[in-house]
Amino acid sequence: MWRYILKRLAQAFPLVLGVVIFNFTLIQFAPGDPVTALVGDYPATEEYVRQVRSDYGLDKPVPERLALYLGQLARGNLGFSFANRMPVGELIIQRLGPTLMLMATALSLALLIGIPLGISAARSRGRLSDWVAQVGALAGYSVPDFWMGQILILIFAVGLAWLPSQGMRSARSSATGLEATLEVLPYLILPAIALSFRYVALLSRITRSAMLDALGADYVMGARAKGLSERRVLIAHVLRNAALPIVTVIGYNVGLLIAGSALIETVFSWPGVGRLLFDSISKRDYPVMTAILMMVSITVVSANLLTDLVYAALDPRVRIAR
Amino acid sequence: MKTISRRSFLKVSAGGIAAVGLAGCAGAAPTTAPAAPAATAAPAGPAKGGTAVIAIDSDPESLNLGITSGYSAGDVGAKIYNGLIWIDTNFAIKPSLAESWTISGDAKTYTFKLRQGVTWHDGKPFTSADVVYTFQEILGKFHPRSQALVKRMKSIEAPDASTVVITLNDAYAPLLLQLNVFEAPMLPKHLFDGQGDVLKNPANLKPVGTGPFKFVEWTKGATVKLVRNDAYWEKGKPYLDNVVFPIVPQATNRATALETGEADFLSSFYVPLTDVERLSKNANLEQKRGVAFPAIYFMMMNTTTKALATKEARQAVAFAVDRQRIVTQANAGIGRVGRGPFGDGFKWLLDPAVDYTKQYPRDVAKAKALLDGAGVTAAADGSRGKLRLIVDAARAPFITAAQIIKENLKEVGFDVEVQTLERAVMTTKVYTERDFDLTLQSFVSSGDPAIGYHRLYVTTTNKVASTNATGYSNAKVDELFAKAATTPEQKDRAGLYVEAQKILAADLPSLVLYDDDTVNFATKKLKGVFSGIDTRDRWEDVSLTK
Amino acid sequence: MARTRTLLALGIIVLFVLLAVFAGQIAPFDPFQGGQEGLKPPGSPGHLFGTNHIGQDILSQILYGARISLAVGVSAALSASLIGAVVGSLAGFFGGWVDGALMRLSEFFQVLPRFVLALVIVAFFGSGTVKLIVVLAILSWPQTARLARAQILSLRESTFVEAARLSGMRAPAIILREILPNALAPIVIVGSLDIASAILLEASLSFFGLGDPNQVSWGFMLNLAQAYLRQAWWMALFPGLAISAVVLSFNLLGDALNDVLNPRLRESA
Repeated sequence: MWRYILKRLAQAFPLVLGVVIFNFTLIQFAPGDPVTALVGDYPATEEYVRQVRSDYGLDKPVPERLALYLGQLARGNLGFSFANRMPVGELIIQRLGPTLMLMATALSLALLIGIPLGISAARSRGRLSDWVAQVGALAGYSVPDFWMGQILILIFAVGLAWLPSQGMRSARSSATGLEATLEVLPYLILPAIALSFRYVALLSRITRSAMLDALGADYVMGARAKGLSERRVLIAHVLRNAALPIVTVIGYNVGLLIAGSALIETVFSWPGVGRLLFDSISKRDYPVMTAILMMVSITVVSANLLTDLVYAALDPRVRIAR
Repeated sequence: MKTISRRSFLKVSAGGIAAVGLAGCAGAAPTTAPAAPAATAAPAGPAKGGTAVIAIDSDPESLNLGITSGYSAGDVGAKIYNGLIWIDTNFAIKPSLAESWTISGDAKTYTFKLRQGVTWHDGKPFTSADVVYTFQEILGKFHPRSQALVKRMKSIEAPDASTVVITLNDAYAPLLLQLNVFEAPMLPKHLFDGQGDVLKNPANLKPVGTGPFKFVEWTKGATVKLVRNDAYWEKGKPYLDNVVFPIVPQATNRATALETGEADFLSSFYVPLTDVERLSKNANLEQKRGVAFPAIYFMMMNTTTKALATKEARQAVAFAVDRQRIVTQANAGIGRVGRGPFGDGFKWLLDPAVDYTKQYPRDVAKAKALLDGAGVTAAADGSRGKLRLIVDAARAPFITAAQIIKENLKEVGFDVEVQTLERAVMTTKVYTERDFDLTLQSFVSSGDPAIGYHRLYVTTTNKVASTNATGYSNAKVDELFAKAATTPEQKDRAGLYVEAQKILAADLPSLVLYDDDTVNFATKKLKGVFSGIDTRDRWEDVSLTK
Repeated sequence: MARTRTLLALGIIVLFVLLAVFAGQIAPFDPFQGGQEGLKPPGSPGHLFGTNHIGQDILSQILYGARISLAVGVSAALSASLIGAVVGSLAGFFGGWVDGALMRLSEFFQVLPRFVLALVIVAFFGSGTVKLIVVLAILSWPQTARLARAQILSLRESTFVEAARLSGMRAPAIILREILPNALAPIVIVGSLDIASAILLEASLSFFGLGDPNQVSWGFMLNLAQAYLRQAWWMALFPGLAISAVVLSFNLLGDALNDVLNPRLRESA
């Protein structure tokens, strides 16, 4: 098994490297440079430009810069952000917390709502409630999430004034620790709901389809023939097999969500990684961009690997085949 | 049509704007600024304490105000630093770190007496060495606007610890105006001198100034926090305990924050125009409206584009563009239709002969005739070709204005392709490559046309951002501008500027669309908010009532 | 049930296609035609859906906007499917380095969120309808390619292909006549879903201001609506509903096709 993991990791390495190089190269061809993006409405002074250029190595030829950057990365140094003037690693960690909070909440909501919906849809297959659930899920999948965010703000923050409309905590608060985390909750609700829509829909569909697949399988017929109660059939046999595709889909999406949802974060002013990525694109802050994209690719690859391992653990057939 | 006066709570008198030039001009005889007001703590003064929440739209570009002219940097920095002077709402120059000053007869030498007993936030004393260092090593090398100012200085010396003497190459009328905290904040020499790259200095992230508030922390993407400086040189001030700046990128969210009480103040740049009307009806909010430092919003026309090469063609464009509609629909009715090449922000240089509303009223037929005469002929279906209009994708009013202009120019036969480009890309395209036909931009005057407006019209060959990218070059105009900057007497300057305006109004390399009105909002609980000409300044005067 | 879904989906799609094609005839106004008075609410005389901030008629914009959404969505998905089918078939059939290269490439694309990549490319290189279609196509083809490849791989060993080979058919003919027709089904399904996600992606990019301001696009309407959320809710409501309806119908279609072409699900109880 360890050989398998090592082999996968070895395969992943060139992929991540490819992401870094691709990103780096793309930026070199992009019009507009980091220095112009840094200045206010007045032209930057020559000295300023000169110093920034030399500080960030922008005056060196591209291949040399790439080599320097890769060397830096190898030593664990993610670089220095032009626009924020702080080490990239620190910057990302600062923003990672809010993103993870939002993501975890959205995914939890998706799991808690999506899976039961999917199960009940599968069990009431063919009936009206199934049809409604299916179309409903598709609708959740089809609605632009940023628009949903705006509608939620209009209804709950502006119209009913039940919840705050932006940010992560009140600017007035000076709480720390657990209290600070609790204070975040009212701010977390609307963005988490907006973000989760898609995933509730996705999960309910996958669950339903996986359940139906499993329900139609031979071993289920066998279990029923043996006289097992429907409930037992469901839990012991169906769910266990249906879990596999569900896990795969969750795993894949977790990886992607790390990039944060730039759209939701913008609509709600949530200080996460998604917005950081968007800002760094506008500001041509390439160390930050590259670091985030690299992080995303590593997370996706790891999530896929983990998923496969879980898959193998759950399904002996997969293990043997390997 | 909405008018301004109907909606102001506090009117900034138009007459106050006339004072702009007077304050900056020295006159022939030496003048002394009023002595610093006696430091008194009013016995039953404003309440002490409380936290003010000021929403800004993005992380400050830097917390070192000496190297950036960015707006959020200014919002935060104005509380941390001081300039040598500050400017009140009547454009009067008031002493800040400089207690008093004298100006020589030829207006070339300024002697400043610095305030005694001022300390930096880390306890070290503020001296003239800091002033000299700030100008020479920081502002002169890094500040976008003040670099030009420092270049005008022949020398700057510190004969003793509390005196600074600035000698200019030539008289420079707006010198004093530019010594405010936004253009020339005073920075601590002991933290920068000999510490390597100014841009990489840790003091840029943990700033130390002499101002009313001290830096506490900056959480990127979230907030900047400041705390009261108990050792501030203005005794008894500031009143507030804390100032917090939450970063709220969405304009509508900022307005909502004001209404729900999550934020206490929004300075003009951050007030979403479309919410102004609603906010002004809110009983809990106080509005300050009027012109602070004038700013003009204009459309540059590339004179090297074939269709726009002649001045008649550009005049035709002026006849076609519905500037009033732009003010109403793109700027929510806030602002005034552009009156001339400098807008109407500086009353002292206006002349009845120069008035776009009379010279270029909306007249599609006239526009077409002018184009025909200029050789920009129409094809059988009426089309006269394509024009590319570039705007900054982040500026919503410009995007709307672009769409209106597109509609207007279609009527005279131009097919306008609007390109919304990201800031960095737009800057490269417009200024570096000059690859555009039309573009919408805005320039801030910073208090005087010689500081911020001349750059729109003078001959510019170095492809630097935020300058004249139209390719227009007129030696007479250049000469008039240069002279007006170094002439001390305002009425002489006015004459020069009027002459320049007459030429520019005919040549029209850029069409001024409108002048901005600044609209600031504060909750009524905040007192003393609007004492400085720039509402980001003078927060030592602000107090919170319960 | 599948029939109802398919009919509903096709119904909505056909409706929007017709609206798009005949927008010129149906729309009461030129979508770019503004007026002196903006922000008229729905139900104002002449403006069923109201007007936006510069007086442009929302209904007309929705009608013309259908053109961009559909054009971008369909073109991008079609191109992606075409490229994907070709590349995937080649990879599956011939294997070797072509296969290896394809797999690496498509893994690369899987690892980066499409929206982010699209954002980067459009932000850097500018927007414009054609560029957008190209970018979306480039980001979507690997998925189809993998699918095609998988289909080819499984069909390659099947008996009728074997028979064709034995009877002397050459490789291209085998691919075209025997394999592709059978591989088509999943490609078509994914194609339909691709259209849906391409439309959503275009809307998202336009929402960030990276769309084409010279065309009427629903996403761009949402961008403009942002500032007027409170005083003109109709500016956001109608484009959002339109996007949702069209995207939903393509997803429904893909779904229905999936059920039709995946018989196993139909049989189980």
